Formats: sequence, C-alpha cells, structure tokens
Amino acid sequence: MKVVLRNGRILDPSQNLDVVGSVVIENDQITEVGEKVREEDADVVYDCTNLWITPGLVDLHVHLREPGFSHKETIITGTQAAAAGGFTTICCMPNTNPPLDNPALIDFILDRSASPEAGGIFVAPIGALTRGMDGEHPADLAALKRAGIVAASDDGFPIQSSQVLRRCMEICHQLDLPVATHCEDKTLTEGGSMNEGAVSAVLGLKGIPRSAEEIHVARNCMLSLDTGCPLHILHVSSWGSVEIIRQAKALGAPVTCEVCPHHLVLTDEQMVPFDTNWKMNPPLRTQLDIEILLQALTGGDIDCISTDHAPHAKYEKDVPFEEAPFGIVGLESAVGLILTFVTHKGYLSPLEMIRKMSTRPAEIFRLDAGTLKPSRTPVAQVAVIDPEVEWVFDVNKTFSKGKNSPLHGMRLKGKTLLTFSGNEVYRDALWDESRLQMGYPVGRK
Amino acid sequence: MHLLSIRELSTEQIQEILALAKELKQIALSGGSLPDLSGRVVGMLFFENSTRTRVSFEQAARKLRMDVTSFGIMGSSMAKGETLKDTVLTLKHEGIDSLVMRHHASGAPYLAARFFEGPVINAGDGMHEHPTQALADALTIIESKGTIQGLNVAIVGDVQHSRVARSNLWLLSKLNANVRLVGPLTLMPRHTGMLPASVHYDLMTGIKDADVVMALRLQKERMNSGLISSLGEYASLYQINERSLKAAKPDCIVMHPGPINRGLELDDRTADGKHSVITQQVENGIFVRMAVFVTVFREKSSVEKTTKVRRLHSETQKEEQAPAMGKKSS
Repeated sequence: MKVVLRNGRILDPSQNLDVVGSVVIENDQITEVGEKVREEDADVVYDCTNLWITPGLVDLHVHLREPGFSHKETIITGTQAAAAGGFTTICCMPNTNPPLDNPALIDFILDRSASPEAGGIFVAPIGALTRGMDGEHPADLAALKRAGIVAASDDGFPIQSSQVLRRCMEICHQLDLPVATHCEDKTLTEGGSMNEGAVSAVLGLKGIPRSAEEIHVARNCMLSLDTGCPLHILHVSSWGSVEIIRQAKALGAPVTCEVCPHHLVLTDEQMVPFDTNWKMNPPLRTQLDIEILLQALTGGDIDCISTDHAPHAKYEKDVPFEEAPFGIVGLESAVGLILTFVTHKGYLSPLEMIRKMSTRPAEIFRLDAGTLKPSRTPVAQVAVIDPEVEWVFDVNKTFSKGKNSPLHGMRLKGKTLLTFSGNEVYRDALWDESRLQMGYPVGRK
Repeated sequence: MHLLSIRELSTEQIQEILALAKELKQIALSGGSLPDLSGRVVGMLFFENSTRTRVSFEQAARKLRMDVTSFGIMGSSMAKGETLKDTVLTLKHEGIDSLVMRHHASGAPYLAARFFEGPVINAGDGMHEHPTQALADALTIIESKGTIQGLNVAIVGDVQHSRVARSNLWLLSKLNANVRLVGPLTLMPRHTGMLPASVHYDLMTGIKDADVVMALRLQKERMNSGLISSLGEYASLYQINERSLKAAKPDCIVMHPGPINRGLELDDRTADGKHSVITQQVENGIFVRMAVFVTVFREKSSVEKTTKVRRLHSETQKEEQAPAMGKKSS
C-alpha cells in the first residue's frame, strides 16, 4: 500500500523543514518527504494543497481514566479523541483506580491501547511515582520502567514531602526516567476551587493562590538541580512559575515545562459564574498570566503544549461548583485553540507551533515520535491540518466520553482533518472528499 | 424570575422590591388586604441550620396564603447520597412551585435554578450572597435615614466569609451609598478590586463619620484555623461599642444580621442601645421576603399569561388556516 500526501505545506521541526511538498507512506512507514517524491504506483493520493502536513502531535499529559473510571473515559474513547485531535502519541497519567503503580497495569494499558477498537495511536504510560500515589513510599520504579513507562508522576496528588520527592527523584535519576510534577502546595489550596483573585472575591469562592503553584515549582526545580533528575513541570499557569523556571534553567537544572491551551486563552474573568465546566486545576488565571505565558512560549522558556485532557461524567459536574471535580477535556479542541489564539495571532510560527506540540514533547520523554524523517518512528505518524477552516467547537460531537469543556460553542479557525498512524486512523467530516484520488482508504469518520 | 444574587439585579429591580416591601408593610400594619398567592406551594430547602431565616420566609409565605413545605435534610434522600440536581428535579415534579434554598456551597442555587422550573430564591449560599438579608437591611436603613444615597456605610468584621456582606455591598453601592469594608487582613478578601467598596483595616478609620455601622457575625471556629489570634484581641480591635461609635456620626444606626455574639462583635449596651435597629431588621425581613415572593410569582404569572396568549393565538391561527386550506384543496 502506497499513500501519497501531495502538495501540502510540510512542517517538520525535527528537520527544520518548512516547504511545500509531499510525504509518501509505504507499508505504514514514511519513505519519502520533500518537494519532489515518487508518486508512481500510489494506491491513494490525498491532495493537501493549502493544508499542513506535520508529524503526528504528541501529548505528554492525558487522563484516559481506565482502569477504574471508565464512566469518564476509556482507553478506546480517549485514543479515538486523540486521533481526532491529530495526536498520534499520548502519555497517560497514572491517577486511575488502582493507580498505575505496578507492571501488570502498564501491560493492561499497552494491550488495550493496541486493540483494534482503539484510536490506532500510541499510548505511552506514565507510572505512579509513589506506591498507590500515597505521596510517601516510592513505587517500584525499575519494574515500571521495564514494563514500559516513559516517565513517573503523582499528577493530581502532588507529593507534599520534599524528602519523599527527593528520594523519588534520586531513584528516577539512576533509572534515567524523567519525573513529571503537578506543582501545588496543598496547605495553601485546601477548599479552593478557582483562582484566588478579584473574581473569587466577588463569587465568594475560596481561591487557589498562585503562590501555591510557585512554591512547589521552586522546590521541585531545586530538587532537580540537587539530584540531577530530569524534571518536567506540568501545566504551568502562573507568571511567577515561568520566572522561577527561567531561573532554574539558567542555574543548569534539567527542567522542562508545559502549558495547556486553555491557560493561554481563558481567564477567570471570562468564566460563567458557578459553571463547573470552567473548573480546572491549576485554575484559569488572569490576562497578565496569559501574556507572560505567551511570551515564554514564544521565547522558549515554556517547552511544549499539553492538553491535560481530563474527562468527567456529566453527573459528576452537575453539582455545586465547590463540589465538582477539577478538569476539562482538551484533545479535540487543542489544535483549533492554539491556531486561533496563538499561531494566527503571531506568537508562534507554524513550524514553532508544531515543535511545541510534537517534536519537543517527544524529545522531553524520549519518545519515538514527533518527526517525519523516514523510518524514525514505529510507523508513520502524520497529521494533516487545515489552518484556515472555520468551525464551531461542539463538545457533544466529540469522541471523548467527557463533555466538560468551557469552549463549547466557541468559533475556531483551524482543525485537524486527517491523522495517520501507519494508515489513516481519522478523517474529519470537513475533509473534502474530492481531494482523494485513486482509491478510498478505510478510516474512521 | 429567580432571586439568586443582588449583584445581578438592576437598580430598578432593587427599588421595585423595596417599594413593594414598604407597601406590603403598610398594608399589613394597617390590617389591609395583602396579595393572595394561595395555591402556590413554596419549598424550604435548607441544607444548613437557620431558624431565623427559615421562619422569616415561612411567615412571609403564610401571610400571602401560600402553602409551605419544609425539607429536613437529615434523614432525607440527600443524606442517603442523592445529588442536589436529583432532589431539585424530584421537588419540581412533586408540584412545588418555588424553592427557597440555603446551601453551604457558593453558587448552589444557580445549579438548582438550572433544573427547577419555578422561581428559586437564594436564602444564603456559602460565602456568596444572602440577597433577602440585604434587602431587609436596605429597607431598615431607608426607614431610619430616609434614603441610602450618599450615606457612609461601614460593614465591619469577617468580610471574607460573609454572604451578608457580599449582598449588602452590591445593593448599597447600586443605591449610591459609600461602602467601606472594615476588618482584619485575615478576614478580608485578598483581592478587592472588583468589589464596589473601600477597604479599611483600622476600625476607627473605617467607621469615621459612618451613618450606618453594620457588624458581621464572627464564626468562632475561625479562631481555631488561625485567622484571628484570640476572640479577646478581635473584640479589642473590631468591637462596635460606645467607645468606637464615637468615630461614627452621632445619629448613626447599628445593624447586625444575627445571631449576635454578644460581647464580641457588639457589646451588650450597643446591641440593645439607642443606635440599634436590629429588631427592625428582623421584622423587615418578613416584608421584603413577601415582596420577593410577589415579585417572582408576578414574573412567573406574566410568563404564564404570555405563553397562554401565544398558545391561544396559534390555535386561532390554526383554526383560521384550516378552512382556508380546505378551500384550496377543494
């Protein structure tokens, strides 16, 4: 089977490639990339004129909820949602029930994600940093690494004891395993449900102060410097955190960090009062935070973009704001949101956008992804994006089980139209079928 | 129409409710005939203990000949794990016309309003708002001072945790009072930029030339969480008493939403003294709640009426169209 993606704008940061050309996929592998390729004998040709052809996107921060919370999401629905967003490799967080703290559970994730019903993309599990994510006893990290985890984290249940985290980082450093941390001093956030600021003062909701995040960012950076363990800081939301990370990098700490699309776009002032679809952790901050996060993304202090896709069942969110769980879905809106509010506004060039959403995250957790170089990934991982198409995000039409998003109804410009993981795993309804020539491959619509 | 917060009411709506409350009070005191809302059933859904507010709403409802049903949460389906949404849906289908709701979570009445067809009246939600208390306070101020416009009103105490403060500051500022929030840093919201009030940490500065001094109830358990070092210290710095009132205007009034911690927020002599209008606040609570019931049901009636008219209109149109279509086909 030979597939040609013809005449698109090829954006591949791994090769600093930004040219109009074609990509050839033969027997599930990329074989040629460039302005001139051999199109003869192609079984299928996708005309990608005015579209982007990019490495499949990579998300370091996804909650697939299985095992234990399959009413919120399953590995099957989560990977389908990821494929629809243009993601070909996602890292799933370990805060399941039971938490991903033993090799059998890692096997389960890998098996299930490879099943025919799943989205056809790669799932790279993140193991629990402590046993049962109890924040006290390091998990059996060597066994977890042998089973296939790509990083370790207690995301959602940040380790409060500096001593415990230091021990964990020492172990991970020895195992050459990155540690990813959700930064939150729980003594400052207890009972908090939104950003501590002028809006929380009006609504009478207990706030989550920036300092709760920044204190742990600073502490964790210092422990990374101390132990030499690569540290990835999850979902940075505060301008103070950015400044601390910048300083830590300058000191030589092996630190990377990510930002979520919603933290680059939405503020607490925009939230619909008491609408639980706006409840997330870290919470939406202010316009000042957004401006500094965008500058840091442009300047490189923020390494990558992750979604923190956090689905919940509707009934779990249909409760008073303070009682609702944190989190919003993000896999299927990320490309549209980043294109509309970041790339089209000039904060990132198209090539830099793809670097932040594909190549760089793959580098951070050392994943075989994020490139269009022939035979560099287990199978071809490619996304085709229309940067100009205008559409309205309808959460009810998403693959994810979670319908919890504050973006529902938002007009966006730019969308993933095709996703390839070996073969075609997603074709969007907005894809113009007249662009297909010489046959019609089977794919999910 | 729901009554969920003062912040979302227009100045005109506030003035209308206050005017109606004043009128209802006059009618009630003169033995006149009050509006009749018989046949309406109001449900008292209280997730927190509150004798005075619940009784005040019940009294208001009874004076309007409404049927009142109270729901005890202990031993109820909610205590057995039912969600608020399901409770509200159940009550809706059990023929309850209106809900008066108190809840420990800020914004909970907004959730109820999404699922309950009839009016939802917020009787206090978390640290958010307590709209009818603010309306009662406003009526009391108007009775004492003639107007609210231009008055200096000092709200003193635990502002951070007070739903009474969060309703009063909006109402008073919408009616052009100068609102001051007075209290220790630990009991004041950290970011007050969107609140229409000035902030004072010193009592004497805060109540200087005040026409109205409104003390807030201090939850004693706050002391255990370290928000104040001791009750004695709090009283020494923020108690409204004869000494501190010397900074306010000589004819100032002293208010308190109750129940009072005597000797803490207010000393005994001030609580019962010449400046105090606390019992008047309680009495006026009934009349503003009556006004709120009349207002929300009047809105509902007008909606019902409009719907009925529309339905009749569309039926008439159908009848008119039917013979015409018949003619055409023939």
